[in-house]
Amino acid sequence: MLRALRRVSDRRRQANGEYGWLFNPYTGDEMVAIDCETTGLDTRRAELVSLAAVRLKGDRVLTSQSLDLRLARPASLSGDSIRIHRLRGIDLEGGDSIEAALAKFLDFVGNRPLVGWCLEFDLAILNRYLRAHLGFELPNARVEVSQAYAKALRRSRPELIPNLRFEAVAEALEVPVMGRHTALGDAVTTALMYTRVQRGLVG
Amino acid sequence: MVDVDLSQPPFTLLDEAGRERVRAGVDLAYFDRDEVILDAGQPGEYVYLIHKGEVAELDPTLPSATSRIGHYTAGDLFGAISILNGKSRYRFKAEQESLCYLLPKALFRELGEHYPPFAEFFRQSLSHKARLLTERRAEGGVTMAGFMLARIEECMREPLRLGGETSIAEAVAALNERRADSLLVQEGERFGMLTKTDLLNALVEQGLSAASPVAGIAHFALITATPGQYLFQALVEMTRHEVARVVVVEGGRPVGVVELTDVLSYFSSRSYVVSLQVEQADSLEELVRASARTPELVQALMAQGVKLRFAMDLLAALNGRIISKAWTFMVDERYRADSCLMVMGSEGRGEQILKTDQDNGLILADDLDWPGLGEQMNAFTETLIRLGYPPCPGNIMVSNPAWVASLSSWKQRLGGWAEARDGDSLMKLAILLDAHGVAGNPALLDALRDELFARCSRDEILLSYFARTALRFSTPLTLFGSLKKPQHGIDIKKGGIFPIVHGVRTLALERGIRPTSTLARLEALAADGRLEARFAEDLGEALALCTELRLKQQLARLHGEHEGEDTNRVVVQRLSSLERDLLREALHMVKDFKQRLSQRYHLEYS
Repeated sequence: MLRALRRVSDRRRQANGEYGWLFNPYTGDEMVAIDCETTGLDTRRAELVSLAAVRLKGDRVLTSQSLDLRLARPASLSGDSIRIHRLRGIDLEGGDSIEAALAKFLDFVGNRPLVGWCLEFDLAILNRYLRAHLGFELPNARVEVSQAYAKALRRSRPELIPNLRFEAVAEALEVPVMGRHTALGDAVTTALMYTRVQRGLVG
Repeated sequence: MVDVDLSQPPFTLLDEAGRERVRAGVDLAYFDRDEVILDAGQPGEYVYLIHKGEVAELDPTLPSATSRIGHYTAGDLFGAISILNGKSRYRFKAEQESLCYLLPKALFRELGEHYPPFAEFFRQSLSHKARLLTERRAEGGVTMAGFMLARIEECMREPLRLGGETSIAEAVAALNERRADSLLVQEGERFGMLTKTDLLNALVEQGLSAASPVAGIAHFALITATPGQYLFQALVEMTRHEVARVVVVEGGRPVGVVELTDVLSYFSSRSYVVSLQVEQADSLEELVRASARTPELVQALMAQGVKLRFAMDLLAALNGRIISKAWTFMVDERYRADSCLMVMGSEGRGEQILKTDQDNGLILADDLDWPGLGEQMNAFTETLIRLGYPPCPGNIMVSNPAWVASLSSWKQRLGGWAEARDGDSLMKLAILLDAHGVAGNPALLDALRDELFARCSRDEILLSYFARTALRFSTPLTLFGSLKKPQHGIDIKKGGIFPIVHGVRTLALERGIRPTSTLARLEALAADGRLEARFAEDLGEALALCTELRLKQQLARLHGEHEGEDTNRVVVQRLSSLERDLLREALHMVKDFKQRLSQRYHLEYS
């Protein structure tokens, strides 16, 4: 409800702005799987380290059309998060500034529906940046793969209690995990999982 | 940045920038089981690189049993040829759920232009494939290069036939008129061979007159062959029997003669040269020199694509001749008739292609008194080492007194082993079962073998113990029937060769089959009805394939490649997809055979 209201007001405000077209309904047949790596798990404080998106069309994952962005070193880059995403301060040197990254990301994603694993978290962070820099949040339709999987599994094998860990689901769907904890790798894996769930190949 | 493994050819033909373009340019797609990825006649839009799963290449025009042309698994490429040809000739179908990288046509073309070796790779594999296919079609699965397909009928010549009452003078005239070297003498229903040398000997040595009939000097014990046999088999026969001619018989009547010189004009291989050198050697040094050339001969034969079975036969005959020749050099003539030198293990089965090690033993007649036997046998083992046969690590050699005994004490030992049934005894029984006499009096070995069959072939408990060893090593297949792929390779000897050899050996023991080579045993078992002919043949092919793969490794070792690796280990990742496919099928045969063995000998719970 709140989100809907916010979207309406965003739309109003952006109507004549640069990104007004993002609010139009999408008519194509592509989707975009996204993932980002951050410095922490607190959506109010964590900063973006890298951001990736890959397009999906039917049962193809168009890895040839993918976006993999590294951001300039955020202030809160700490040892703990480096251990997870393995991007050190050095690796982020020459990364994009946050404004440039957001611009590229919006251009790539457009108004296509978004697919993600724990999409809520990624979007919370992205929207925090978007609201601060551009004054709106992503209006795109969303597909949460873990939920889609749980739903499909409930339908096909109601007796199972789904194990919704990323690796476990990947294994259940026979999807190879590619480059875990790199933004693009996770995005591609998520995209593959989604195509599997879409075709009803659960369980 | 997708995880594409580009460390295999053809991608190794690109530089890092090229590989980067591949990485950036590929898409991913999932294919369901039984989904057609690319149908025959469809234009090729992508090159497919399999990340996971299995894809079959089918020829939709053939009946379903033979339509499978190729099989691709993780890391393999397909579809490139469809792009080069414009459209796909065959149908590609996912056999399992498969995840493939799709390399778009435009990018593939671009890479081909920038990196000529990359494009060359695909053109090569195109012709390579075409060749494989024609070979398969030509011989229904028998892979032999062109000239090896030559049959005897293509090379035989019309025999010159004369009656037995013909005089020597008339025979010489006929030979000269026909410019032939030999003729066939007919006497009633029998035919005999008469050569120019025989005529000379008759005239000069025996002092016969030119008017005497030829019937008395012709040889009526003929080495024969049938027109449909491979020419190569004739060559094997000639080497084995030390003759220069084979009579071709069809329906009991001689229809032609194959002369050694004719065969040689067909084979430009060095096999005859080596065997000739062995025959002509009249000192140990010459024999050593001739013996050193056998690896070279094996390579030549393999390079010409000679079927492994024939190569094995030829090599077994050659090795036998070398050892027997060495025996005649070393051992006094008066002992030879009363002793039998036997070779055992792979050599006894005639399956030793390269000289791996010597396994031999000696049977003496019961009443033979041989002073200084020990020293002579030590010297003989040393000689074999000089001839290139490394010593046996298990010390199964005539220099070891445990493998030299009189016939009766051999029989006693055999009884002891059959009673004991422990691991060591069973191994010794197995070794003895493969024994093949190479020099001396073969009747001694026959007597020993009779005893062996009499003692063992009806002893179900012994047979069951004996068979169990065949199940000792697991077959390197996964639960789903695909090949296991450990980094260090799969052990082809334990996983493939040994179970077949030992299982067949067990069956041969049970049925009292005398031939020692596994392939000959299989034929005998099929004739005996113990195995279906079809299964026996498949098993033989499986064995040949495993042996061939191992031989390739051993030859590579001779060239100094893969130093320090175990030659029994085959790294699946290094095989071509066709070889991989064949190996998988072969191992399935092995698995099947093991199951039959455990049913027959009740090994389920052991």
